[in-house]
Amino acid sequence: MDGKRRILIMAVVFGLVALLPIFFGGSKVIMHILIMCLIWSVVASCWDLIMGFAGIFSFGQVAFFVIGAYASAIFSLRLGVPPIISTFLAGAVAAAVGVLVALPCLRLKGAYVALVTFAVHMILAPFLKSNMGRAIGTGGAQGLLTIPPISLFGYTFQNAEPIPFFYLTLVVAVICSLIIILVIMSHWGTAFLTLKDSEDFARALGVSALRYKLMVFALTSFLTGMIGGFYGHYVGMLSTRMLGIDLFVTLMIMLVIGGVGQYPGAVLGAFFTVTINEMLAPVGSYRPLILGAMVLILVLALPDGVVGLIRSLFNLGGRGARAGGRMK
Amino acid sequence: MAERVLLRASNLTKRFGALVAVNNLSFQVKEGEIFGIAGPNGAGKSTVYNLLTGVYPFEGRVEFEGREIAGLPPHKIAHMGIARTFQVPQIFASLTVGECVDVGSRFGCPGGYDRAYTSEMLDFVSLTDQKDRPTEQLNLLGKKRLMIGASLATKPKILMLDEPMAGSNFKEIQQLMDLIKKINQDLGITIIIIEHFMKVLTELTKTLLIIETGTEICCGDPVEVTANPKVIQCYLGDAYAEN
Repeated sequence: MDGKRRILIMAVVFGLVALLPIFFGGSKVIMHILIMCLIWSVVASCWDLIMGFAGIFSFGQVAFFVIGAYASAIFSLRLGVPPIISTFLAGAVAAAVGVLVALPCLRLKGAYVALVTFAVHMILAPFLKSNMGRAIGTGGAQGLLTIPPISLFGYTFQNAEPIPFFYLTLVVAVICSLIIILVIMSHWGTAFLTLKDSEDFARALGVSALRYKLMVFALTSFLTGMIGGFYGHYVGMLSTRMLGIDLFVTLMIMLVIGGVGQYPGAVLGAFFTVTINEMLAPVGSYRPLILGAMVLILVLALPDGVVGLIRSLFNLGGRGARAGGRMK
Repeated sequence: MAERVLLRASNLTKRFGALVAVNNLSFQVKEGEIFGIAGPNGAGKSTVYNLLTGVYPFEGRVEFEGREIAGLPPHKIAHMGIARTFQVPQIFASLTVGECVDVGSRFGCPGGYDRAYTSEMLDFVSLTDQKDRPTEQLNLLGKKRLMIGASLATKPKILMLDEPMAGSNFKEIQQLMDLIKKINQDLGITIIIIEHFMKVLTELTKTLLIIETGTEICCGDPVEVTANPKVIQCYLGDAYAEN
């Protein structure tokens, strides 16, 4: 699938999503679900870029999201930085952490990278709750409350009025998607794929593993951290509950449904998973069971996800098609 | 006029714990020649390549065009003009044949990306008609040609081939030998080749180095080297060497 076709698909998807408030604008619940779909689509896309295209088993995506959320909240609450700027600063903080995490990962492969990055996820909650965390303004076990909303050109995007916030989130999600598509189609994307397919040969052909691995960690953690900061200003409060296993698994389901390395599958996976997750709310404790069964069936029936199925049905080849389904 | 030494390895030693994989090995490769390396399995041939291309740190010195390359990462060594292939064909399964060759030019070519040269190299390895196919669809010979094509796209001064004939039939061996000769003669690229087929080495190379357990047994003219009793002993055992 070439870049133009990818951009066309994303334009159609986001164009249709942009029309949804016409039909559902009166329902705050549905608008909230749509905003969450857009936020998670960015996180899932970043995870797809690092795992599906660069072949790096980074399990730190939720951690980068939470780091960004806390960083932006702390910048705005404690230092008085306007939220629209603090979200970018949060992206920079997450990117810096991402690069620090990447450095030991450069010497590791496969499951060992997953272990290191998941260790970051695991130690983040105790850190945020600790005295050290409290000292930098994380609010300890209580978390952060009264995080100010984003203001732009004198307008404040309150979560009580979801439609304006929805469109703001849509703009952010579109920009992030464009960045990801451009990266995939650029020589960066080629470098990521070569390092995934055969790192030894890629290096022998002049690809710098150090440079491109650091780049993918920095870029994906920046975007994830930035959208995390955005999320914090939307919900207005943060706690370490996000670092539980539920969110991590839900994010993984998004990728599996969309198809790993099948961008823009991650975006579709995010919309599908968030919606199904909300629809299953009435079944309570059976929800994880149903979601789990669904993932099992999908993995067996559609190993390359929904987008992989669409590609094979319509014989759409290209970079994404061959990038997926070959995790090492 | 004396031939210029392109690559000089002096006292190369590589230890993996207690195992000495390469032991005090010294050799030099002259510009424009085809230099062969042979030895039994486990002799340390591929390890030598890994040392020359920066995969492993080592003791000793390696000079390429008079510049020390020890300690440089593989991609920087590639930028200097040293390309290599692998015994087991390495391809980029996510890319097409054309994109795969493109990688060599885009990332490894010191003068920057050269689209025309990439097409030329695709043609050189006879893969132009398959440039839009996924790399995985190529047969073994195609994958070997692709690896060589991508390496050539970096515009190397020296190409190191690691057992290019492995798994090939006689017809394919002849085709690969013709390709290697063409690379050396038409493109003027110096070649180092690791190979088990002595016939290939005696026909292609000007200098042949035989190693066993990381140590040099002998080095010189391939016909003389293959007649050396030490080499016969190392390959076929004491009984053959005595006869």
